[in-house]
Amino acid sequence: MEVSISAAVNVSVLAMAVIFAVLVILIFTIQLLVKLMPYKAPPPAPPRRKTAASASSEDDHVAAITATLAMHMGKSPSDFRIVNISQR
Amino acid sequence: MEFSFGASATKIITTTGFSSLGGGDAIMLLVACVLLYLAIWKKFEPLLLLPMGFGCLLANIPMSMMQSTDSGGLLNFFYQGVKHEILPPLVFMGVGALTDFGPLLANPATLLLGAAAQIGVYFTLVGAVYLGFNMHEASAIGIIGGADGPTSIFIASKLAPHLLAPIAVAAYSYMSLVPLIQPPIMKFLTTEKERKIKMEQLQPISQTVKIVFPVVVTIVCCLMLPGVTPLLGMLMLGNLFRESGVTARLHETAETHLINIVTILLALAVGSSMTADSFLRIETLKIIVLGLLAFSIATAGGVLFGKIMCKMTGGRVNPLIGSAGVSAVPMAARVSQKVGSDADSSNFLLMHAMGPNVAGVIGSAVAAGVFISLFGDTVPEPHAAIADVIGTVEPGAKAAIAQVVEALQH
Repeated sequence: MEVSISAAVNVSVLAMAVIFAVLVILIFTIQLLVKLMPYKAPPPAPPRRKTAASASSEDDHVAAITATLAMHMGKSPSDFRIVNISQR
Repeated sequence: MEFSFGASATKIITTTGFSSLGGGDAIMLLVACVLLYLAIWKKFEPLLLLPMGFGCLLANIPMSMMQSTDSGGLLNFFYQGVKHEILPPLVFMGVGALTDFGPLLANPATLLLGAAAQIGVYFTLVGAVYLGFNMHEASAIGIIGGADGPTSIFIASKLAPHLLAPIAVAAYSYMSLVPLIQPPIMKFLTTEKERKIKMEQLQPISQTVKIVFPVVVTIVCCLMLPGVTPLLGMLMLGNLFRESGVTARLHETAETHLINIVTILLALAVGSSMTADSFLRIETLKIIVLGLLAFSIATAGGVLFGKIMCKMTGGRVNPLIGSAGVSAVPMAARVSQKVGSDADSSNFLLMHAMGPNVAGVIGSAVAAGVFISLFGDTVPEPHAAIADVIGTVEPGAKAAIAQVVEALQH
């Protein structure tokens, strides 16, 4: 039994050493990759001018919000009106 | 052919399952019902425990030919996927397709936490040897501490197939109990001040790095530990489907339909191996106890290494993320987040904990690779299909085929 336990301890120490060795190699590899291929932030999207299409999109939003609010409040959509949507 | 009423009735009675139902079968049917109860009403890993419990139920109905050992039976065919190590790697492919390695790439030092948590595997290995298991069996039991179901099944089917059922049940049961097992250990090993540490926001990672990473891991890890290639290779292939951006259909299939289908087959196959002969033994109780020990020590190992990293970085690492190194994705990371937010409601550790969490998957796969290198067969047996062909040909041709197979193996 003692021989087996000492063998198990030896295996455990060896295996932990191998695991740490493999993962440390991976750490250095990842650091190298990140250094070689740094993250480049995408260019900011140009501000959109309000066009007929975007007005139409806003109408869709108003319709969706109106329907959701009406369902939530238990009222008819014609009982209230959304007058302004502001972006935060 | 004549039939008398009495003889026919006797024949029907002797061919019912009741006529062969033994005490062991009845107990196993009860065990199956307990697994179904835990899955359905207690929500313990239901995706696994439900089909596993039902597989156990089917396998223990006498004369149903549904045991994993019933040659020609339905579940025997499913079991070939476990025996020939097909199903666990396919589950890993799905896991890879579901996994975002971004948090790990943003903070690669967390890989060390995934390594430290593997200490549970080796404490359990020593404990299992102390309790009388041989090294192969002890390795298969120890890997429960890796908290990775497919890896546990993969290693058990390779090193100790006769212990597959209790090991799989213990692994998945304890994985579902992570929210109960881990928090007391995490709180015991950390101070209130440490639990309140807020970590810096992770740096963004370029998509190119995310694409190259699975290829590099496969080359580095599989060259060092070739035995782990089926598991790690499939994990990384699934991840490459996800990150490459050119295989949207394969990615979608791997992360949804494929993993679901394979999970059903795998769990049914494991359930079909839960027979009275293999399960109702004192070894099963020992494995259940050792599994709990494995999870607890793994959690403690991760947290203690987290404390070391906390000291070395001047308090920039919250030790609670160390417990996520046990794998059990994403449950263990959620536990880190929960314990951290209990100490300070404005503390968000989830993304930081995902790093060691996915590192734990790689760590447990590497631990499995070490076991395969030490105790696995370096030359696998011929595949069943080849063996069948060899069995049907003339003796002279058989010798020639055997020579070809041997040459291929070398």
